[in-house]
Amino acid sequence: MAKTYSLDDDAVVVVIGSGAGGGTVSNELAQSGIDVVCLEAGNRLTLADVVNDAAVMHQKMTWLDKRLGAPVWLCKTVGGTTMRWSGMTPRFRDFEFRARSTYGALDGTNLIDWPLTLDELLPYYDKAEAKMGITGTHGMPASFETSNYKVMKAGGKRIGYREITSRRTAINSVARDGRPACQQIGFCWAGCAIGAKWSTLYTEVPKAEATGHFELRTGAMAVKVKHDASGKVRSVIYADADGVLSEQKARAVCVAGNVVETTRLLHNSQSTLFPDGLGNSSGHLGRNYMRHVMNLTLAVMPGPVNFHRGTRQSGLILDEQRYDDSRGFAGGYIIETAADQPYGIAGFVGGWGRDSAEFMDNYNRIAGCWITGEDPPEAENRIVFHDTERDAHGLPVPVLHYREHPNSTAMKQHAERQCESIYESLGAEQILSRPDAGSGCHNMGVARMSKRPEDGVTNRWGRLHDVPNLFVSDGSVFTSSGAPNPTLTIVALAIRQAEHIASAMARREL
Amino acid sequence: MDLHQLTRRRFIVSVIALSGVAGSALRPGLIPVSQAWAESVSPLDDSIRAAMVRMARLLFPHDALADDVYAELLDRALSDAAASSEFAEHLEAAAAALERHSGGSWRALDEAGQIDAMRSIESEPYFAAIREHVRAGIYNGAAFWKHVGYRGPSKGFGGYLHRGAGDIDWLPEDE
Repeated sequence: MAKTYSLDDDAVVVVIGSGAGGGTVSNELAQSGIDVVCLEAGNRLTLADVVNDAAVMHQKMTWLDKRLGAPVWLCKTVGGTTMRWSGMTPRFRDFEFRARSTYGALDGTNLIDWPLTLDELLPYYDKAEAKMGITGTHGMPASFETSNYKVMKAGGKRIGYREITSRRTAINSVARDGRPACQQIGFCWAGCAIGAKWSTLYTEVPKAEATGHFELRTGAMAVKVKHDASGKVRSVIYADADGVLSEQKARAVCVAGNVVETTRLLHNSQSTLFPDGLGNSSGHLGRNYMRHVMNLTLAVMPGPVNFHRGTRQSGLILDEQRYDDSRGFAGGYIIETAADQPYGIAGFVGGWGRDSAEFMDNYNRIAGCWITGEDPPEAENRIVFHDTERDAHGLPVPVLHYREHPNSTAMKQHAERQCESIYESLGAEQILSRPDAGSGCHNMGVARMSKRPEDGVTNRWGRLHDVPNLFVSDGSVFTSSGAPNPTLTIVALAIRQAEHIASAMARREL
Repeated sequence: MDLHQLTRRRFIVSVIALSGVAGSALRPGLIPVSQAWAESVSPLDDSIRAAMVRMARLLFPHDALADDVYAELLDRALSDAAASSEFAEHLEAAAAALERHSGGSWRALDEAGQIDAMRSIESEPYFAAIREHVRAGIYNGAAFWKHVGYRGPSKGFGGYLHRGAGDIDWLPEDE
């Protein structure tokens, strides 16, 4: 069962973060018999800690340390943001790996192609889907059709959409892998109360522990990665909950702290050899930060929907996930159902007075959808660090610079018209759209994979171009954002990366 | 601020201190608001309290909800010793500003006039604080939930799978 390793054990792989990337790469390595120490800044909840109360779970799970600039909505807990995600798992499409070749340069962007293709990733998408129990794959039935999904499907059909599906969700539609079927509880962003939705908290982490090759250290905030004179990383310094520092030796390191903490750790690991941050000889570390185009549409329908009954995101429309510049923008977007509790919806409605209240009076008749769309990389969309402000660990406070590219503005406007048409086609009485709703929950870039070292931070395996034994295992490696919710691709890349690390170790190259 | 009001609020805070009830333990569920002080010793002047109940309704006017619903969510904030002092100041500032913008009696204005006065102070921080408190109180509250048929946390009764999750009867039967 769960093992412990000494700080001097230099045979372990240290994984930083236990979410979609870190949890997966940890378990995959441990399954291969490789010893892993996983450092997780947050605490370990159990399902008994998960309650149907968004405010309570916000306090239990959210990364609340100070950050400035564009807001992000990330977690500090075992499982990371797999404790607060929709479970939507669409795949990238072929053109999305070839963004530069497909879209052209796109003024003001820093677009390049991925150093890998869909064909190369397909076997790992397959493994990721089998691991996570994605509905509509590997014998897992399609997701239950909520009334909110039925409205989106009916309206989508009326305006000509064809790829409307209740498949592609990481929520058990039947009991599987020791986890129950979804009971349509709702509150999916506050953690699944029964574990029907995949989270590394109760899948990858305990499975890794069962191998006898894995130790999870909670309340362990990595503050610096140290290297030797040759430039190979040798240890990770981390602070415990009391701020006491320890140094864990390592054979290799996988960083998966989500974009902000991944950037900060590498930045903070600067040295004489790497004066601008570890792995930053290209100057791209922290740059090309992408956060997906988002837009929410809520519509008061002619009859009851009661969209609080069931999963928030129970189906999607894939027709707009394509390249078609006649729409006035490059890249695609995906339309997904969206729902929330009354207080959450009241926040999106905003304002005060009779109009706001009347919309809310019709809460039981509201249907909703939301889009996630490709956001192009820009050099000046970046994560930097405050000159003087320090957090409780003495680390510089992150500052997130983000400005919307005109391509994203055009996409959002198109998506808003389409989403509103879905509900208009069914006789919606009132419609409101809210740009950027949910923005900051999908975070990518900052350590992007590139074929040429001067174009990015990591290679096609997510390994730093500059360092032979340091890998980035989260969404930071995305070369371009594509349209899909990122988790499935993060998991597929992590499985592929773990396989690469294990075989390099077997060949004694690592 | 009127000295009378200030004194009155200090009096309430002293009562809390003397009774030995810690702020964090002071919840409506433990001490019924109406018995504690909502009626007898509200930290607010009666006319201010009445104005603020009216303002709370005009912020999120649901005809289906009784005035008590709006009154209780204000009293709940005032009964929380940790936050009451600041919140009472917000309410007093709002009431005083509404009076100023109404040339005397805001409550005597018709609804349109009352809303106009509210619009003139809506960018004030105290207004935003009150608005957000009322928004949370109304939309997290049982009365509104009942009004719109929202059943709330569902883990305890097994989720909505067999309780209407897919029920919809008005969609057109397209081919």
